[in-house]
Amino acid sequence: MPKKILIVDDDKVFSKILKDAFLAGGQGKYTVVAAFDGEEGFATAQREKPDLVMLDLVMPKMDGIGFLRALRAESWGVELPVIMETGMDDFKKMSDGVELGVRGYIIKTDYSIEAVLRQVGDILKV
Amino acid sequence: MLSGEIIFIIVLILSLYGVVVAISFFAVRRMKQNLKKKEIDARHRMYELAILKEISDRTGYSLNIQKILDVIAGSLNQFLEYSVAGYMLIGADKIIFKADLERSVSPQFIKDVRMRMLKSLEAILGVSVPDAQVEETITGAVMLETVLEPVRSYFNIPLVVSGKLAGLLTIAHTKEGLYKEEEIAILYKIVNQASRAVSKLEDVVRTEQSKVAAMLEGMVEGVVMTDRDYRVVAANPSAKEVIGYTQEGMPTFFDFTTGLKDTFDIKTKLEEATKLDKVLASDDIVIKGKHYEVLVSPVKANTGPAKGQILGGAVVFHDITHEKEAEKMRNDFTSMMVHELRSPLGNIKKIGEMLKSKEIVENKELSAEYVGMLYESSSTMLDLVNDLLDVSKLEAGKFDVDKQQVSIKELIVDRVKFFDTSAQGAKIELSSYFGERVPERVLIDAKRIVQVVNNLLSNAINFTPQGGKVMVACFMHKKGFNIDEEAHQQNIQWFDVDERKISSAISDCLVVAVTDSGEGIEHENIGKLFNKFTQFSSSIREREHKGTGLGLVVAKGIIEAHGGTIGLGSKEGAGSTFYFTINL
Repeated sequence: MPKKILIVDDDKVFSKILKDAFLAGGQGKYTVVAAFDGEEGFATAQREKPDLVMLDLVMPKMDGIGFLRALRAESWGVELPVIMETGMDDFKKMSDGVELGVRGYIIKTDYSIEAVLRQVGDILKV
Repeated sequence: MLSGEIIFIIVLILSLYGVVVAISFFAVRRMKQNLKKKEIDARHRMYELAILKEISDRTGYSLNIQKILDVIAGSLNQFLEYSVAGYMLIGADKIIFKADLERSVSPQFIKDVRMRMLKSLEAILGVSVPDAQVEETITGAVMLETVLEPVRSYFNIPLVVSGKLAGLLTIAHTKEGLYKEEEIAILYKIVNQASRAVSKLEDVVRTEQSKVAAMLEGMVEGVVMTDRDYRVVAANPSAKEVIGYTQEGMPTFFDFTTGLKDTFDIKTKLEEATKLDKVLASDDIVIKGKHYEVLVSPVKANTGPAKGQILGGAVVFHDITHEKEAEKMRNDFTSMMVHELRSPLGNIKKIGEMLKSKEIVENKELSAEYVGMLYESSSTMLDLVNDLLDVSKLEAGKFDVDKQQVSIKELIVDRVKFFDTSAQGAKIELSSYFGERVPERVLIDAKRIVQVVNNLLSNAINFTPQGGKVMVACFMHKKGFNIDEEAHQQNIQWFDVDERKISSAISDCLVVAVTDSGEGIEHENIGKLFNKFTQFSSSIREREHKGTGLGLVVAKGIIEAHGGTIGLGSKEGAGSTFYFTINL
């Protein structure tokens, strides 16, 4: 049974790259759903019940922290692993994320696809 | 016979002599008396001068009446004989009574003097003065219960400063029949002169104070001045505003300490400034949501005998809220810009990485998609860099337009054609309209005007939902007519752009307008649309719509460089009209 990844990011190019990375690099271990703002992301999460969320911080409608708060208020979302995509200087949001039980970070402008796959693989034990 | 005549003559001579002697005797006596009187007068005059000199020496330019009274009371014994010399001074919340005993008297004597003075005060003031308000100080000889002499001689002199009763000076003695009118007159004269001097000084001070107040009144900076005992001497309206003091009149120092509580310790700062004798500056103090630079400075006398002496302190509140906001905007703009450039750049790098991988290379469809993404990401970046470059050129005033005769109809038709595909894709009806007498050719920089029309059209299409309408209209405006009315007469899709009804003043020109049936723009955001800083940051929030958000800022620069105006009208939930004018 492949693991379901939800990518919540308004940057469509970034989202596409990440999606392809999971699909192509994951060798059939993952399926991917994408949402392009916080509100849509939360609705998708509720509907799709993903195994892990890749979450952008700066988004229209509802930002990453807002999404996390909403998620943690749901019984199905309390333990859901989340990896935050951040800039290099979002320290405040990073610490907010830690408090909200974020499992990992990727720095958007400086990440390696391999490392992301490894990190997600470790969390989901695949 | 002869002897009888002789005797008569002798008697006559003798009596004449007697008369002369008598006259001389009285004349000498009168002379002596005059001399003595003159001597006394001179002594009094000397005393008068001496005491006035002493007053001026010891009190200087002081306004302290008590100090002056102390000098007078302390020197009276050179001139008068008395048991008790004292004064009563009307203070703000109490009456100071000070008595100097030249010789011992009974407590009853003092009580008596005190009561007489109070009675006099009451009589002059016309109000009752409760004894409880009196603060008593007795100096000099001791009071003795055994001395039973009552007050037998007594007089007091009112002290009037600036037309108001300030207090009383009193002399009392156990002996009877002392104090002649003459002595009272001299003392009266001295007290009077002293109070006149104080009055004059007070006048000067008041004039100076009102000068200071008038100077401070109009100042943008909040200014508070205090004396050495931290009493507020002056506080201008701006200073009152800083602490949110809305009442009439001067706030007290307490109003300032409470108004600045937890943000600025005004007393400690004043103490420090006077102690160190230098100006202390505190940067960025936030008081009631506003940012201030606060300067605390000692105030020193720069003339007169007190020169160099510290008189108090001044606190200046300089509102730097605008500067701070501008600084924040600049910082936000820079970080947003970096973010906006970094995201596509990061993506380009990643796309390159993906394009190297076997899975993508082998998948023709996917690799074509990635090449497309590469093109799009680099275009986004290039657009942003170009817009930034245009904005900086505009700001530097180095924005040149290369005007040539161009067919405006062709230009617009061409643009409508260009956007037709994307409009159709978004299920939006895109149309154009040309009014009567639109000239064949106008003098413009075609490349730049195309940039403006592109921007307006892409915005209109982006912000219009499916099934909406976007129209480009081009018509003539005549001076003396209102643009909105002109548009309505031609029955075109239009939202009124001339809220202030000033367009009739615009000379004859060509109007180009793009009207959409989109979501409209909130009234309060209209002004922000053409501002580089606010526009850029709001575009981040609305990133679902493409574009850097700088397009309108650039468009405004282009139109203004052509000598035209650009503006908009909008109705929330209904749509917007963006227009610009081209001079003929």
